[in-house]
Amino acid sequence: MGELAGHLALGFSTAFSIENLALCLVGCLVGTLVGVLPGVGPIATIAMLLPLTFQVEPTGALIMLAGIYYGAQYGGSTTAILINIPGEATSVVTTLDGHQMARRGQAGVALGVAALSSFFAGTVATVVIAALGAPLTKVALLFGPAEYFSLMVLGLGLAVVLARGSVIKAIAMILVGLLFSTVGTDLETGQERMTLGLPALSDGVDFAVLAMGLFGFAEILRNLDNPEARAVVKGSIGRLLPSLDDVKRCIGPVLRGTGLGAALGILPGNGAVLGPFASYTLEKKIADDPKRFGHGAIEGVAGPESANNAGAQTAFIPLLTLGIPPNAVMALMVGALTIHGVIPGPQVMTKHASLFWGMVASMWIGNLMLLVINLPLIGLWVRLLKVPYRLMFPAILVFCCIGIYSVNNTPADVMLTAFFGGFGYILYRFGFEPAPLLLGFVLGRLMEEKLRQALVISRGNLMVFVERPVSAVLLALAAVILVIAVLPAMRARREKAFQE
Amino acid sequence: MIKSPQDAAAGAFLLAIAGIALWLGADLPVGTVRQLGPGMFPRVLAILVGVVGVMIVIDAFLQSGEGLERWPLRAPLFILGAAIAFGFAVRPLGLIVAAPLVMLVGAFASPETRIREVLIFGGVMTVFCVGLFKYALGLPIPVAPWLIGY
Repeated sequence: MGELAGHLALGFSTAFSIENLALCLVGCLVGTLVGVLPGVGPIATIAMLLPLTFQVEPTGALIMLAGIYYGAQYGGSTTAILINIPGEATSVVTTLDGHQMARRGQAGVALGVAALSSFFAGTVATVVIAALGAPLTKVALLFGPAEYFSLMVLGLGLAVVLARGSVIKAIAMILVGLLFSTVGTDLETGQERMTLGLPALSDGVDFAVLAMGLFGFAEILRNLDNPEARAVVKGSIGRLLPSLDDVKRCIGPVLRGTGLGAALGILPGNGAVLGPFASYTLEKKIADDPKRFGHGAIEGVAGPESANNAGAQTAFIPLLTLGIPPNAVMALMVGALTIHGVIPGPQVMTKHASLFWGMVASMWIGNLMLLVINLPLIGLWVRLLKVPYRLMFPAILVFCCIGIYSVNNTPADVMLTAFFGGFGYILYRFGFEPAPLLLGFVLGRLMEEKLRQALVISRGNLMVFVERPVSAVLLALAAVILVIAVLPAMRARREKAFQE
Repeated sequence: MIKSPQDAAAGAFLLAIAGIALWLGADLPVGTVRQLGPGMFPRVLAILVGVVGVMIVIDAFLQSGEGLERWPLRAPLFILGAAIAFGFAVRPLGLIVAAPLVMLVGAFASPETRIREVLIFGGVMTVFCVGLFKYALGLPIPVAPWLIGY
């Protein structure tokens, strides 16, 4: 306990420097600003805003990125409530009752409850990260190459199950992502692999290039394909603060949502996406009058929103302690950390103690800032929602181009991004989801490295992955999950869950 | 015959990816199990992608699914073309030309675009981008090398 307090004290003393507070504030502001634009999800937001952090030292950059992330998340909830367009998978649930509340003239209360329950969940999740971070790092040190490899297999297996759409197509995307990660110079032998002799590819496909192509450019193309019917809530937003009665009704859902979200967020393979769904289902099941759900039940906003935010934050745990990103957003964080010369993994906490704890502390500060800046600024966000897409996409386009160019200052990167934009558009047209591809891509290199190490250590004995108990358990779990996912009965239930 | 044209095409697309990867990686040494070579991981993955592709194609014959619509070419052409134009223009001509260029070319992707609106908005955004990225953030991106030398 004393250790935990010491760590948090270190964190808060780092985060409370004027510069870091300012970075956190700017991150939250621009994150919300971009995240609130319909059709721009958190992944595109972070990819686009990455260059903003280049000139900042690593701790500040990471704090700012985390701010951007929360801002983008919150922006997604705002669009979900006001115009019924979820920014990403996790705010789908918020559209159900949030938008209904908005249509009944309670938009302000819905936004207020979303912000307050997110803040509460964020506070709890910060403590969870601080408490679990250190012990989990010790677990990580017990992991050999074989265990790491198996853990990543499990993570990818979970990602397949939790991806939207067809299971087999999600598997295909992971494999293509892994395949893409092998492009470039082989680290062990120095041999160039599948680079077509292009110098731009000799270091491999840049993560930012791939992410911006698949999520920046391809998303513009996707949006242009479906001219949206945007129904911005007309009339007044109404009061923001929930009444005492509302608060009383929300306490239970918020507590349960936070618990569910925080627990699921720790899972490798994007467990966080399950949180809001689980919370909504639970609240609907135990409600006195389940019929209210879907017609503007405040519990249906409070529970999922707290689960969403708790999961979004505990998703940092596998990244910071094991170095394994659990979802596409965290994969972007890996890219950002690497640009700043920090290799994610168990050593972060010891080598970069002030960075680690500073970021944990700034998570809480960021959540507080979101609450403070968003409630008064909601009027501004509503106005932003009315910007027509025909003006928005050229602006997004130019930001993406400048962002990509700035990563390495190479024009070839912009063209390569255009290629992946076209690739992403083809994937979309064929019914593939690009998020698992990005996750596979990020884990690919680490997986290959650990696989090769494990085989060298075991002298070429492939059985090493099932002979070592921890590794065997992880692989068995992965196998069970995949088998369940392809079973017809489970398939139907999964589809139903995503439709709800 | 084919019950899900979209899936059939998707599977064929995966097969093409697998084929290209196998072809590009053909001369990479595979190594031994004890000491994996640089070619092993990519080759195994390419084969797996191909296997999944075949499975999706087979599935397309068995289960009905979505059809293939006509692909609109306008948006991809202008959006991706705009980005490539930016890549060519940014070094020699600088942001002051590349930024309005990418916005103007890109804007043609949507039939709703109004030319005068884009011209004004493009000008405003260019000033904003130069101010933000060059002066506020200090990124080493050329502004107008032919005019002011950087």
